[in-house]
Amino acid sequence: MSTHTLDVAVIGGGFAGIGTAIRLKQHGIHDFAIFERGTAVGGTWRDNTYPGAACDIPSRLYSYSFAPNPNWSHTYSGSAEILGYIEAMAAEFRLGPHVRLRHNVTGIVFDERAGVWEIAVEGHAHPVLARTIVLASGPLANAGLVDIRGIETYRGHKIHSARWDHDYDFTRKRVAVVGTGASAVQIIPELVEKAASVKVFQRTPGWVLPRINRRTAVLTKEFYRRVPAAEQLARRAWYYGHESVALGVVWNTPLTRVVELVGKAQLRRQVKDPWLRRQLTPDFRAGCKRLLMTDDYYPALQHDNCKLITWPIARISEQGIRTAEGIEHQADCIVFATGFDVSKTGTPIPVAGLDGRILAEEWARGAYAYKSVAVSGYPNLFLTFGPNSGPGHNSALVYLEAQIDYLVSAIGTILARDLRILDVRRDRQDQYNADIQRRLTATTWNSGCRSWYLTEDGFNATMYPGFASQYVHQLRTVDLDDYVVVEARADQRQRRVVPVS
Amino acid sequence: MAMDFDDMLRKIKDRQWALADIDWDAPGAETITPELHARLKPFMADLMWIENVGARGFAAMAKKAPTETLREIYRYFHAEEQKHANAELALMRRWGMLDGDEIPQPNVNVKLVIDFLDKYSDDMSLSFLGTVIPMLEVALDGALIKFVMDEIDDPVCQAAFRKINSDESRHLAVDFAVMDLLGHAQMRKLLIDLVGGWAKPSLILGVLSYVPLLNKMRDNIVAMGVDEQKLYKALERYANVGERSEFARRLPMYQIVKLHGGWVINRDHPYHLVADALVKITGLVPKALLRKDPTWSKELTYEPAA
Repeated sequence: MSTHTLDVAVIGGGFAGIGTAIRLKQHGIHDFAIFERGTAVGGTWRDNTYPGAACDIPSRLYSYSFAPNPNWSHTYSGSAEILGYIEAMAAEFRLGPHVRLRHNVTGIVFDERAGVWEIAVEGHAHPVLARTIVLASGPLANAGLVDIRGIETYRGHKIHSARWDHDYDFTRKRVAVVGTGASAVQIIPELVEKAASVKVFQRTPGWVLPRINRRTAVLTKEFYRRVPAAEQLARRAWYYGHESVALGVVWNTPLTRVVELVGKAQLRRQVKDPWLRRQLTPDFRAGCKRLLMTDDYYPALQHDNCKLITWPIARISEQGIRTAEGIEHQADCIVFATGFDVSKTGTPIPVAGLDGRILAEEWARGAYAYKSVAVSGYPNLFLTFGPNSGPGHNSALVYLEAQIDYLVSAIGTILARDLRILDVRRDRQDQYNADIQRRLTATTWNSGCRSWYLTEDGFNATMYPGFASQYVHQLRTVDLDDYVVVEARADQRQRRVVPVS
Repeated sequence: MAMDFDDMLRKIKDRQWALADIDWDAPGAETITPELHARLKPFMADLMWIENVGARGFAAMAKKAPTETLREIYRYFHAEEQKHANAELALMRRWGMLDGDEIPQPNVNVKLVIDFLDKYSDDMSLSFLGTVIPMLEVALDGALIKFVMDEIDDPVCQAAFRKINSDESRHLAVDFAVMDLLGHAQMRKLLIDLVGGWAKPSLILGVLSYVPLLNKMRDNIVAMGVDEQKLYKALERYANVGERSEFARRLPMYQIVKLHGGWVINRDHPYHLVADALVKITGLVPKALLRKDPTWSKELTYEPAA
């Protein structure tokens, strides 16, 4: 049994985990390990390899500012290229020795006396010890399970978009696609090219906006390689472009109408049949659910071998999907493009904090945290993509980078001052969340539609109600005044709350 | 009269049936005599299309419903009306009434109402749709389905219409519960809805399609050798059930639809001079002037599997 206590345990080897590791190293913190349950790093981008998988934020912005990549092939990159970027970062920053693959963390418990987290790893008899933890498990780590009657009776092939079966040959197959969200609109145009027929089962249509995806010229790549400042400038341009979109997408304003007009113009331009257009017209404000960015989806739906089905699904039968208009839509394969099980209430693993409190119990009616990064009662624990950190208009990586810099700074403080406990104050956390929830009432996400942003009760534990710049600004410095700080880690009999300077 | 709509939605989901649940080739088709066959064919075509009147109405109501549960209920109702039309098409096929894959056409009055709903219903308020669609449901669907069950012995037809009937009873229960709900609104809002609804020029087209439809269907029923009182009893049901709710009674549009229903069932009322004249006039409308079938009607199928 190893008695070594890691300075930092990073749980999850996706974008967040790798980014955290890089920043830790850059801040001189080297005693850390990344616990990854899979066989490789990459997280969401390792798992989502379905045909057409891509990011709908421009790559220049969907990457870390501290790890620029002048080589992006297109404005918007596909999943393979993004995964390649993550792997390249891991290699460049020599993270290999820190990564523990096939290490599935099954729970963490805080030992208050020692000021140490005990990490239970599947298949390991003894827990791993760490002074601090970064829970970088990611909101899109788990495939959204589908709860449709009769799903177990289906005899054909089933595929979830987040666990694609590359061995299945779609040629001459009848395919049913359940879902019309961000993954579905990327998969459907690819399937239509291969399969004999594609039936798309839609529950609610989303707002579809154009996405102009251009190949990056060789000269441009070379220019960015030689003049990194120019690449940073391009990144800033994309950033502020997206920031301006917040005015229409985050809040219900006259600009929301403009976004909707762009969506309607795209629909009118690409779909001529009035009934199909009606079926594809959303009945909620733009931004309320995730905006879909694609030029290929509507044309694909109108292919001769493709059909949009909007009847409610009654059940799945042995041979296909029975809808409420009484017809069995038979299929050789059902693709569930039903997204992810985004946790708004529980936690990805059991987390036990001070006095044995369980985080999932506290979050049962909706998750909350302080600035989405720390939770009172769970000292020395930091979250990436924690509650209310979701962007609706800008790159998630911008938010993530701010979180990473904040938590690395906090971890640096814990290690430098040898703190036993750095625990966010409950009153500060409550005050912060009251403000967040008040601000959320004016946003499009809380404007009345049902989405994965909200819990069953309509509580928004997911999105940040403001500009990315506001989010980044609030995480610029770690103010110890927001925390209960307990020193004297070495002498556990002496507890002292560090006075606020 | 308050309804638990969540419970109703659960019930609707639990009681879904499919065309595949019925053996369309089972014995019994021979019970349709050649004489009945001839009278039944246009009647079934009309009935199948009248299902689509309800379907298109529910599709519009799904867009207007105030809660997600009610929206979902209307989505199901829309689909169920299509299912009824599909089942009726399957019966027509069983009885050898279909000419290849061609979908039989309805009479001009049904077609005019469908055209109207297809063009304008999405812009109508829930209180308008929520009071008119129930009348069409009780009067047309209700009466005509009852007629089929009384007159046709084919066990497959009986089995199919038992399922259709139980769906329809849920539709009507929700229809009247929603009328009750709508009646809770402030009188000021109800009047604004009423004036706003009637101020639209399109509504004149709606009235001109709706008025002759009821008389035309009455004529069809009489032509089938059936007592027209069956239709009138169905029309009376609208008022009978509506009167039970003090809130439904507050709906100005309910009062108008009810008043109109009263005229329809009184054969001596001068209203029939106008309505019968409209039946004759609309009968002269050249087919070329009618709009093409909406593309959603191409979804109709008698095949249990696709």
